[in-house]
Amino acid sequence: MVLCLIGLFLLWRIDSPRVERFRAQVIDHVVPSFDWAMAPVTGTVNILRDFQSYQRIYRQNQELRRELQQMKAWKEAALQLEQENARLLDLNNVQLDPRLTYVTGVVLADSGSPFRQSVLLNVGARDGIMDGWAAMDGLGLVGRISGVGDNTARVILLTDTSSRIPVNIQPSGQQALVIGDNTAAPPIDFIEAPDKIRPGDRVMTSGDGGVFPAGLLIGQVAEDPGGRMRVRLSADYERLEFLRVLRDYGHERVTDPGKLIAPETSLTMPGPAPAAAATDPGEAADG
Amino acid sequence: MGDNIALHKWAMRAIYLGLALLVIFFSLLPLQTLPRGWAGPEIIVAITFAWVLRRPEFVPPWLVAAVLLLADLMFHRPPGLWAALVLVGAETLRARHVGLRDLTFAVEWVSVVTTLVAITLGYRVVLAVLMVDQAPLGLSLMQMVMTLLIYPVVVLLSQTVLRVRKPTPGDIDALGGRT
Repeated sequence: MVLCLIGLFLLWRIDSPRVERFRAQVIDHVVPSFDWAMAPVTGTVNILRDFQSYQRIYRQNQELRRELQQMKAWKEAALQLEQENARLLDLNNVQLDPRLTYVTGVVLADSGSPFRQSVLLNVGARDGIMDGWAAMDGLGLVGRISGVGDNTARVILLTDTSSRIPVNIQPSGQQALVIGDNTAAPPIDFIEAPDKIRPGDRVMTSGDGGVFPAGLLIGQVAEDPGGRMRVRLSADYERLEFLRVLRDYGHERVTDPGKLIAPETSLTMPGPAPAAAATDPGEAADG
Repeated sequence: MGDNIALHKWAMRAIYLGLALLVIFFSLLPLQTLPRGWAGPEIIVAITFAWVLRRPEFVPPWLVAAVLLLADLMFHRPPGLWAALVLVGAETLRARHVGLRDLTFAVEWVSVVTTLVAITLGYRVVLAVLMVDQAPLGLSLMQMVMTLLIYPVVVLLSQTVLRVRKPTPGDIDALGGRT
């Protein structure tokens, strides 16, 4: 029996996707059968927690009012920027990708262990979810689909130790990787020119390697006491309840350097220029 | 009489399975999606070890293997490895349970400590050798220590509430009659 278990482990090490599919199927059968009990228990615990926070409600109210004042100012700025943005988009005749739609799922369960950071959604292959799609809450990126069952899908959070996301740090445009390390604010590594990055810069997905669509907000740069750059995540990890899974059927890739003489076949339009540039800046420079 | 004992045995096996499912259920509740700085104990392992030292017939190897494999799959751990190691640990303890029966709880606890330390180290070594992504060492150690600390509580509860006790001479006759 020990040999069987070890054999399974080795099989997982050798042929991970197959065993992970098996795992997804097991979870797909077990978790929905827990679901009827999970929702009420979770709800009760959350109500108890909320009840604790009622004790601080007056102070919270004051804080919220103050924040609301600031937010009004920001809202004004945002409206003006939105109008300006719409005008500029119109002037440039930019086409946003029409296929970037999403499916919303409810968080069923978390990973259940302190070592893995993942959540389980109640949407799966039945809803057309595929491995590798991005999951966001209202504001920012939360994680990546990894493991799809018929009715469930697992989202590996950005904070998981196996999460590596290629990012683009604005406004300096530096490429880097956000590497999960089981803390609330994952560090940024492999920065080209670290001195060009300041705390407060925005971190977006770069779309390198086709991992995600480019330009999804992840968070802001923050510096930890050790001087290491980390991302303060925009998504509200305290309460992950509803997640949007972005449909992403991949983008066209520029594989070969352009030729001086156009080929005989009918001229096809190249893919969206910003996406292509983000995919492979090195090759674009070569070409 | 024999029927009664067999029924009791199967009932306790079912209770073991139920407890394990309950533990899995509560750890899966999506209450905490921020990474935690602490790790709770592995109650399933503590229950397994406590029962295997008291009434080994309640936790046969196939049941331990099935429960831990399910936990591996649900908790997104590398499937099989932790289950295999816990099974090895449980079988080691099972082989020693006759000798440990007459000794004090402290001796039993020490043997559980050594077993758990050995399988935790083995787990990390195997993962390191096969270059699998690992959890931080601190968290693993904390989980191990928490499991060791919760062990006496688990023993106490299973003795008082579920009446999983070491067999007394009177029981042995009945068991002997069964086998």
